[in-house]
Amino acid sequence: MAKTRKSAGDSRRGKASPARRPGHTRFVLACLLPALVLFAVFMVYPTVNVFRMSLYTWSGFSPDMKFVGLDNFRHLIDDDQFVRAFQNTVTLLVVVTVVTMGMGLFLAAIMTRQKLRSRNFLRFVLYIPNVLSVVVIAAVFSAIYDQNNGLLNSMLRLVSLDSWQQVWLGDQKVVLYSVGIAMVWQSLGYYMVLYMSSMSSIPEELYEASGLDGASASRQFFSITMPLIWQNLRTSLTFFIMSAVNLSFVLVRAMTGGGPDSSSEVLLSYMYKQAYTNSSYGYGMAIGVVIFAFSFLVSLLMSRATKREPLQF
Amino acid sequence: MKDSTRTALFVAVRTLVAAACVALVVVERRTIGWGHLGIMLLALAGLMALLASYNRRYQ
Repeated sequence: MAKTRKSAGDSRRGKASPARRPGHTRFVLACLLPALVLFAVFMVYPTVNVFRMSLYTWSGFSPDMKFVGLDNFRHLIDDDQFVRAFQNTVTLLVVVTVVTMGMGLFLAAIMTRQKLRSRNFLRFVLYIPNVLSVVVIAAVFSAIYDQNNGLLNSMLRLVSLDSWQQVWLGDQKVVLYSVGIAMVWQSLGYYMVLYMSSMSSIPEELYEASGLDGASASRQFFSITMPLIWQNLRTSLTFFIMSAVNLSFVLVRAMTGGGPDSSSEVLLSYMYKQAYTNSSYGYGMAIGVVIFAFSFLVSLLMSRATKREPLQF
Repeated sequence: MKDSTRTALFVAVRTLVAAACVALVVVERRTIGWGHLGIMLLALAGLMALLASYNRRYQ
């Protein structure tokens, strides 16, 4: 791929960049200042404060805060509930990401390449959950999973599969996957539409040419579609990792409250419980630091692992 | 070994490793403990390494 590079001396000799009027930089800074101030007040300061508060013990209400250094982090090591919440977060992150991205890509490829008659209707139906509030989705799935009158158990009874019936939100082995299914249902349509828009912009001639060379549909998908939508895939994957951590909290909070017996607790819901219910604000912020570090590290590694030279077409 | 056979073998191995990593995460979740969490994080790292190895050809 051809790239044009300016020689290092060009800008110094004044050939490349035109001369700036005096006061130009000051005007740009003045334009940027409101946004920078808002960013500092509402993003930078609270983030720094989370790190600072993790070094204190504080109930959240009393005026006296006691500096304890890394004591909160030492307590985390002995906290089984924290370990369980971490394990649940990793499980949801892996399973939901793999299923959502895999199904989203597959459905997008089917709907783009196979000219289905009901394509627009299916796209509309699959996109609806993304428009709904997460709390509404939680209510819908709570009704579906209801032990006695829920849609799922009623359907199983109807087809004589009574032994398959579960207490979907009350069984410690099943509850996390019940929440996971709701997460997949909520985000699948959005990512499918996102990939469909990328796939629609790929020129048809590329597929025609590869078809003449004898490439199968799967070969076309992996050799043409995937490389050409890679930048979109990479961005959405990085964003999805961060949003999955947040979405799991909202759904767990609305559907199970972390139960039964903390078996569906995730890191963010455990942090919320400690900081705002258990009056251990400092300890909650220590969990927040771990969440920040984990999300940041996974997103960074994912971004590095998927880095690629963009293709032009 | 033919090129097509080697490619098919690579794809099969990658798919198996990815499935094993996901299965490892699901199985290790059943027991609470730092060791089990460590294995889960290793499985997550394995999935990302797999993605990086697939992506290396295109960099």
